[in-house]
Amino acid sequence: MKLKFFDANVFIGRPHNGQFGSVSTSEQLVQEMDKQGISKAIVWHIFQYEGSIVEGNRMLTEEISKSERLYGCWTILPPQTQEIIKDDFFKKMKENKIVCVNAFPEWHRFVLDNVAFEHFLVELSERKIPLFLTMGRTCITWEGLYRLMKEFPLLTCVLCDIGIWGVDRYTWPLLEKFENFYLESSQLSLEEGGIEATVRRFGSERIVFGTGFPVQYQKAAILQLTHADISDRDKENIASKNLERILQKEQL
Amino acid sequence: MSDLWKEFLEKGKSEGCPVYDMHGHMGSYSRIYFPFGDFDPDIMKHRLDRTGIKMLVFCSHWTLFSPDIGNKANIVVVRKLPDRLRAYCGLNPNYPEIIEKDVEEFEKYRDVFVGFKLLADYHRKPISDDAYKPAWKYADKNGLIVLLHTWGSSPFNGPEQVRIVAERYPGAKILMGHSCHGEWDKTIKLIKDFPNVYAELCAVVDDRGGLEQIIDAVGSSQIVFGTDWPWFNHHYYIGAVLDSGISDEDAHNIFHRNAEKLLAALV
Ligand SMILES: [Zn+2]
Repeated sequence: MKLKFFDANVFIGRPHNGQFGSVSTSEQLVQEMDKQGISKAIVWHIFQYEGSIVEGNRMLTEEISKSERLYGCWTILPPQTQEIIKDDFFKKMKENKIVCVNAFPEWHRFVLDNVAFEHFLVELSERKIPLFLTMGRTCITWEGLYRLMKEFPLLTCVLCDIGIWGVDRYTWPLLEKFENFYLESSQLSLEEGGIEATVRRFGSERIVFGTGFPVQYQKAAILQLTHADISDRDKENIASKNLERILQKEQL
Repeated sequence: MSDLWKEFLEKGKSEGCPVYDMHGHMGSYSRIYFPFGDFDPDIMKHRLDRTGIKMLVFCSHWTLFSPDIGNKANIVVVRKLPDRLRAYCGLNPNYPEIIEKDVEEFEKYRDVFVGFKLLADYHRKPISDDAYKPAWKYADKNGLIVLLHTWGSSPFNGPEQVRIVAERYPGAKILMGHSCHGEWDKTIKLIKDFPNVYAELCAVVDDRGGLEQIIDAVGSSQIVFGTDWPWFNHHYYIGAVLDSGISDEDAHNIFHRNAEKLLAALV
């Protein structure tokens, strides 16, 4: 079957230590997506992680403004320093086609919990704006993630790059307990039987498609999902519908 | 769009391009949950059929991690699905007496084994250690395949160690499992220097860039496909190889032609 893909896990920009096949502009990214038949993507800029969060968010905003197929993800910091989160934060998100936020607490040196983020993460939960986290960089520990979800049980959270080695022992308790907790698919597809077992246990609504571009191969994720041993309806949910539903629910 | 990619995307497999997975495992393992950890011949056949895997060559986790179980874990499994499975006789250098016995009895299990598997990073003795010697000599003399776990910078199975055994045992067909991961320049040098040394792609294609570098430098005639199954998914890995920009000819070499040559006298 031919699926419509909405990629939840892509970054733009060239990392300072080099990355095979990375792209600096939205034109280049859209070209890569066209080669693979990927229709839309949520994108962040690598400079948001490696360099300046403020300038990285700005560079991202500029790039995604050039293509209606690209949506943005801004990186957040504790509201107290007012570097990123100010009174008009959500209004600015809406104006700039930013549909979600991510955070790298371990790398950017803060604690992602209710001491620093109580009001903000309550509001994020109420507005149903997804928070993207990753296990593929210095971002958060499993203990930190468990604590965060316990403190904000209604938070919409998408975990990306879940791990090269199967991590079902970590993720299944979170899927069981927190209804708005989602997995990005690229490394679940990498795990033999990972997609099938997770769908059998929790349904297909809890997984959103991602490729991990430019680090991982896009065709790997596409081929696995297209021929996964699950129903066509489940494949459509994962390929694009779940992410679209998540974004439809959000109030910006 | 390449013809092979078109066919795989449409059907999930290719008539003219069967796939040999030269690096698999079998059975459960304590540090991870495997949805397909327990061997069942019907389920196994179903998984291999839908991805077009013609043969999986493996060594059981239980063999590698329990000298008390040893190679019988491989023998029972291959004999339940002999058309699709072969095994590597697993060696643990901490029990040299078991290695000697396994080599002595190797002929009895020619229907099961195509060679040996070494997991030196885990067993903590270098692949050139004397404990392995009976097996290396036997593989050298009989043209058997030896699948090594290899990793960049490892003192047990890094590129320098591969060089030692490749020089010493030119008759053995040495598969560098994980291709000395991360030290691709040394992987390339080993392939150039030794016609009996092959790169194997497990963990290489988790990220983009490694396969591209190897194939640019040495072509595809000494590269084989492998996945650490049941760790990694066959379709994911096939898609990754086909996304690396290689030609369909190169893909045929990697997916089946090189493996067919290696296995010709052994299966
Ligand atoms: Zn292995």
